[in-house]
Amino acid sequence: MAGIDSKQNNIILRWSGVVIFLLLWEIAPRLDWVDPYFLPSFSTVIFEIVRLFVSGYLGIHILVSLWRALVGLSSALLLGLPIGYLLGRRFVGAAEVLQPVLVSLSQVNPFSLLPVFLLFLGIGETAKVAVMGWVSLWPIVFYTITATRSVDPLLLKMSASLGITLKDQIFKVILPASLPTIFVGIRISAGLTFFILMAAEMLGASAGVGYLVHNAAMNYKIPAIYAGATFIVLSGYFLNKGLLYLERLLFVWQEKSSFSPSSGGSASVPAWRPGKRAAVVAATVFVLLLVIGGMEVQRVNREAADIWSDNEKHQRHFGMPVGGGE
Amino acid sequence: MLSLFQKRVLLILTLLALWEIFPRTGMVDRLLIPPLSAVLQTAYDLFVHGDLMKHTTLSLKRALVGLFAAVFLGLPLGLLLGGWFPRLQQAVEPLMELFAQANPVVLAHIIIFFLGVGEVARTFIIGWLCIWPIIFCSISGIHSVDQQLLKAARSMGLGRLRLFTQVVLPSSAPSIFTGVRLAAGYAFIMLIASEMMGANTGLGYFVVMSQESYQVTNVFAGALIVTLLAVATDGLIRYAEKRIVIWDAAGREDFLNLKSSAAGSG
Repeated sequence: MAGIDSKQNNIILRWSGVVIFLLLWEIAPRLDWVDPYFLPSFSTVIFEIVRLFVSGYLGIHILVSLWRALVGLSSALLLGLPIGYLLGRRFVGAAEVLQPVLVSLSQVNPFSLLPVFLLFLGIGETAKVAVMGWVSLWPIVFYTITATRSVDPLLLKMSASLGITLKDQIFKVILPASLPTIFVGIRISAGLTFFILMAAEMLGASAGVGYLVHNAAMNYKIPAIYAGATFIVLSGYFLNKGLLYLERLLFVWQEKSSFSPSSGGSASVPAWRPGKRAAVVAATVFVLLLVIGGMEVQRVNREAADIWSDNEKHQRHFGMPVGGGE
Repeated sequence: MLSLFQKRVLLILTLLALWEIFPRTGMVDRLLIPPLSAVLQTAYDLFVHGDLMKHTTLSLKRALVGLFAAVFLGLPLGLLLGGWFPRLQQAVEPLMELFAQANPVVLAHIIIFFLGVGEVARTFIIGWLCIWPIIFCSISGIHSVDQQLLKAARSMGLGRLRLFTQVVLPSSAPSIFTGVRLAAGYAFIMLIASEMMGANTGLGYFVVMSQESYQVTNVFAGALIVTLLAVATDGLIRYAEKRIVIWDAAGREDFLNLKSSAAGSG
């Protein structure tokens, strides 16, 4: 078989499962195999997503969720990278001693932590962001420790014998050498943050994509539930894939690393060395998101506080009749 | 000079002592962080006189049922897909990745349509989250079996069954254990979330109720028990792995092993 042909076949094979699933989802409600009221067909759900998007409703919630995730993730980075570097390179003995404590802390359930943070920080955004930061802190710390520890000693000795300053050593030797591994940590953190954020927004928030689903369920807007859920699943999937792709793009030169277990076939990906322009663009987007998102979050929270009184407390719990469990 | 173990124990004891001393001396507000002894005392009292025991056993049961269901379904499925049906595995892999992304909290509303709000839905939510790391890890475990080993075993005339039980399964056991450990971690995270959402028993419910009635000590007691359960389960699985997978001791100590294989399964 020719190369192109088998490649195409492979793609068809790979996606056949998804296609069959979507077809079933489309056909089953239409032929009344399941009640279309409870399971709207796939096309209905997609139309609903488009409708929500066009009306601007979805955009606001995306912005709010994105802002929370970004603030949590970047504060985790600001904290985690120095901690990881210090424990990985400066205080190696301390890191060994601290390990059980760090592992136990990372095992603390973020959901049982939420009430504790609420007590300290109030029910505002800070508690939510703090939980996000907590969740994403640990992978970053652990991966940074591992990464900085496993920097090639040859490079370190060589640069030291050339009289490198500490600052240059950190930014020109250790950071580039450990970046691929740190990036894996960031990717895992991002996935976890996304996961926990959606859950946290369903438990108690007044905006965000998770809240959108929750709110839809409160009001029995069943297509909107499916629309929100599908949107969340898709964005989680593409977040993961996108970061994986970026990782391969950025760190092609690290192919030998033990942390790129991707099963070969990545040779076709071109290398990409982001220059100044890319950095400026990324920074601008980041700052814009923070500012606009922050404003939006404030606005949404103010509105929620206004209607809080007549809306009772229904955001607090999940919308199922509480007590209907057993 | 103290050994590493002694140092670790010393550090943990110091931290616990600080937890006791700071609130007692008023350096942090007792109302916000109650001292350790008060938390333990409360936990003990609630265990003996209150219904914390009931909540704990119920939560543990839910988590374990979900986890075991995931193991019993996911392990054979993963092994079959990885070992016997490579083309089928290719065909369903993207679908499984999508499903693994499907956050069960978000799906909860939909699951409730079909399963109601009772124990079945809760177990399903936990099992759903746990099954994916197990499937993915057992598939990757099977794929990582040394081909040389397989060929050698085959050329010595090993039958399919013995090939599986004596070569394939032992080689993929470390990866399978990683999957189970990941799943156990997820089970506890999800357990608390699902109990916070809509239950009237269980530790998650206990923590939320305590928080809403401002019984801070109870919040800490509940959070402490949840953490202890999760750490104990993880430790138990790790211990089992050490006893069972004696042939792959190298590198198992590194806690990063857990996280690195989380990469694929999200």
